Amino acid sequence: MSAARFRSRPSVATSLLVPLILITVATVAGANGTPSFRGTVTLVLCNLIVVVGLQIFVGNSGIYSFGQLGFATAGAYIATFLTLPAALAVLQTPGLPHFIADAHLGSLLSTLIAATICGLLAIAIGLPLMRTSTLAIPISTFAFLVVVYNVVANWDRVTGGQSGLVNVPTTTSVESAGLWAGAAVILSLAFKWSASGYRLQATREDEVAARSVGIGVMRERLIAFGLSGVLCGVGGALAVHQSGVLNPTTFYFGATVTTMTMLVVGGARSVFGAVVGALAIATVNELLRGVENGANLFGAISIGEAPGLAAIGLGLLLLATMIAMPNGLAGGLEAGELPWLRRLGPWTTAPPPEPCDAIVKGAPVDRPADGALSATGISLAFSGLEVLAGIDLTLKQGETLGLIGTNGAGKTTIVNVLSGFQKSDAGTVSLDGIDVSGHSPARLARAGLGRTFQAALPFPHLSGLESVAVGAMGTGTSRRQALTVAADVLDRLNLLERGGLPAGSLPAGSQRLLGIARALAIRPRYLLLDEPAAGLNGAECEELVAILGGVREDFGCAILLIEHDMSIVMELCSRVQVLDDGRTLRIGSPEEVQSDPAVLESYLGSSFLAPVDA
Amino acid sequence: MTELGQNLIDALALGSLYALIALGVTLVYTVMGMMNFAHGEFIMLAAYALFAFAGLPFAAAVASALLVGIAIALLAERVAFRPVRDADLSAQLVTSLAVAAILQNAVAVTVGARAQSVRTPAAISESTSVGDFSVPNLEFLTLGLTAIVVGGLGLLLYRTRTGLAIRAAAENFDMARLLGVRADQVIAIAFAISGVLAAMVGVLIVMQTGQVSPTMGLTPVLVGFVAVVIGGFGRIFGAVIGGLLLGALYSLLGVYLPEGLVPFREAIVFTFPVLILIARPHGLLGSDLGRARV
Repeated sequence: MSAARFRSRPSVATSLLVPLILITVATVAGANGTPSFRGTVTLVLCNLIVVVGLQIFVGNSGIYSFGQLGFATAGAYIATFLTLPAALAVLQTPGLPHFIADAHLGSLLSTLIAATICGLLAIAIGLPLMRTSTLAIPISTFAFLVVVYNVVANWDRVTGGQSGLVNVPTTTSVESAGLWAGAAVILSLAFKWSASGYRLQATREDEVAARSVGIGVMRERLIAFGLSGVLCGVGGALAVHQSGVLNPTTFYFGATVTTMTMLVVGGARSVFGAVVGALAIATVNELLRGVENGANLFGAISIGEAPGLAAIGLGLLLLATMIAMPNGLAGGLEAGELPWLRRLGPWTTAPPPEPCDAIVKGAPVDRPADGALSATGISLAFSGLEVLAGIDLTLKQGETLGLIGTNGAGKTTIVNVLSGFQKSDAGTVSLDGIDVSGHSPARLARAGLGRTFQAALPFPHLSGLESVAVGAMGTGTSRRQALTVAADVLDRLNLLERGGLPAGSLPAGSQRLLGIARALAIRPRYLLLDEPAAGLNGAECEELVAILGGVREDFGCAILLIEHDMSIVMELCSRVQVLDDGRTLRIGSPEEVQSDPAVLESYLGSSFLAPVDA
Repeated sequence: MTELGQNLIDALALGSLYALIALGVTLVYTVMGMMNFAHGEFIMLAAYALFAFAGLPFAAAVASALLVGIAIALLAERVAFRPVRDADLSAQLVTSLAVAAILQNAVAVTVGARAQSVRTPAAISESTSVGDFSVPNLEFLTLGLTAIVVGGLGLLLYRTRTGLAIRAAAENFDMARLLGVRADQVIAIAFAISGVLAAMVGVLIVMQTGQVSPTMGLTPVLVGFVAVVIGGFGRIFGAVIGGLLLGALYSLLGVYLPEGLVPFREAIVFTFPVLILIARPHGLLGSDLGRARV
């Protein structure tokens, strides 16, 4: 495989360097400006840390949280408790335990402690919240924000209540804020490109497909929620040590709207977008504030004081972005993925990984040669309508089993039961002799059960290579190894050439193959294919048959094939099971099934009654 | 005994106010799949109509509040929400957040960020004796209004063609559209009703507190959201139950919580849904929304 055949991957270094350069420029400008400008830039950098923290969760999971500023509040108060000189603490926070009130820590230590506590708090809050549905999370996180506000606004003896705390040591310099901001960018990019980050992005792209390759959705969301809490805590802690004052509304609804606007306008899917959004909106905000305070525009038009004007401007910007440019300024891309930047030179792209027979090398050795995936007595009814009526099915190692039948016969439903997506009313599923009934799809995938769906279910914003690599990462392979496995699988499926392009931009046929490649990347011992040829043209069908024939050899996995095209079934399958109305009509060799009168009657139709010359 | 009964009536009254809020939120969610952050601002703007038309007879001021509620709901739908109708849930939520921020700050800039007091008829703050109980007239009004609204919505949804169209759009928007349901019309109707409901809530809140402020919609909209989560997304009457539960809890906590903890009852009330979600991740009346289909 030559590098030229592959549309290259974006360079990690470029994606990292560009946002770091932006932060450095802001920091240097702030350090050389007037004291008030320096203060403004410091606060902007603190905000940027919060926005990058927001991006870790929102950008990678695709779920908006309205509660992350609650962690900024927590971080700000905790750090303040630790840095407030004892003499001031006695007056302002008489309810604090002595060992905290007497502590007079430096900026770094107090920030680190606050960040740690915020991370733990986020994990504790996230444990119940991440179990709920995708829509309940934004609302429960919003509720969390209000709970935090209510507590700090009323716990007078500790937080100073509504009036808050003053005379907080102003220890955050523009340089330290810049360093922390740079660290935040590195952390969030490292997370995004870690196996955990890729798994979370896959759940954002398609939750069902993500579960089918072994990804535990809640677990990945929780990790990001915790990391996000850490960074938001850092941002809050640093900001209060710049401004010197803190009250319950500092990081409340207004700040939530502002940071959300920064993230969305920049583009939530990338860290680059978060950085660009934070800096751009901060600039706009400062200009609007100038207008708010009654500035003279161009020395001619003078506007009276109008507090709230800046917030209206931000609201309009957010609305316009959502309507006209939902991907934001950065378009959801990291700096290294920007087309105009990638044209500049070789330093903007990274070479593709080498395939080198990773499948064979990495294949699990402990596969029993006589194992089987089997279902016994599976019954299922949807609100009274019987879909499966006591089906037995066995997929033995080394075979390809065809599953045919009319629409509504229960083919997809039995595959859903086998792969854990559907619980049956009765019956058991076993994998190599172990009862796995009721196991989650992710757990079954990790046990070696791969599947595809009738729809391709691509991960549109991940590249083809990444989409397939996520399959391997879902089952616990390291990121580096997963990319090699993915390159190997794509190479065998003649897809490597297109591996650098976003999966969503590929033609339908390639997306289908990509779905099969993704399932293969988990290195399944049993592969369930639900109508892989649906929607493919003649040439693509032939290619698919050739590929599937090779898969059986290369990957050594048993295949269950749901397919309406009888020629494909005849060519690939060693046994065929015919379903009719939730029951098994016949099991036998392709020839036996094809000549069975009952099968002809129910499924194949009278034209098959005439002798078949294949 | 009398005291307990009195507390329960208070609880039921606040619960029905919350149910009215939740109904407005869930109705829009049902037809459009959008949780509308700006519902709180619809409430706020209707309340400001009472403030603006304080010179008129009170009934006329209330009528103008209802009109403002409908107008702002329809306007927001047309200008902001229609363009993002096909976007995902999160994008719609952020869009409505933007609308909320714009409306809230627009009022702060034009009228002022401070709370303003509004005079309401004296009869509202009086009480009527029923047996041993003395029930504030406002609670009678709230309970009666909620009963009428819930009954009326039930009739509308299950006994009229418009209701059928709304329910069809809620089940499968695209299919309903293909079958000839006028989608724009159905959504506009849902927003208009939610605007009326918001206005009612705005008027009731003003009657209770005697004042308006730009941020007065924030807590109500959260109440509505949480009630919908508790009840189960897309379950119209689940939202009513969720609202009743939240309101009753808030009201009873105010009476039975130790005095030092009363200020924290908002925190307790908004933590409570988490407990429900731990037990039932899809709400009391459970909805399939979070469970993806294969």
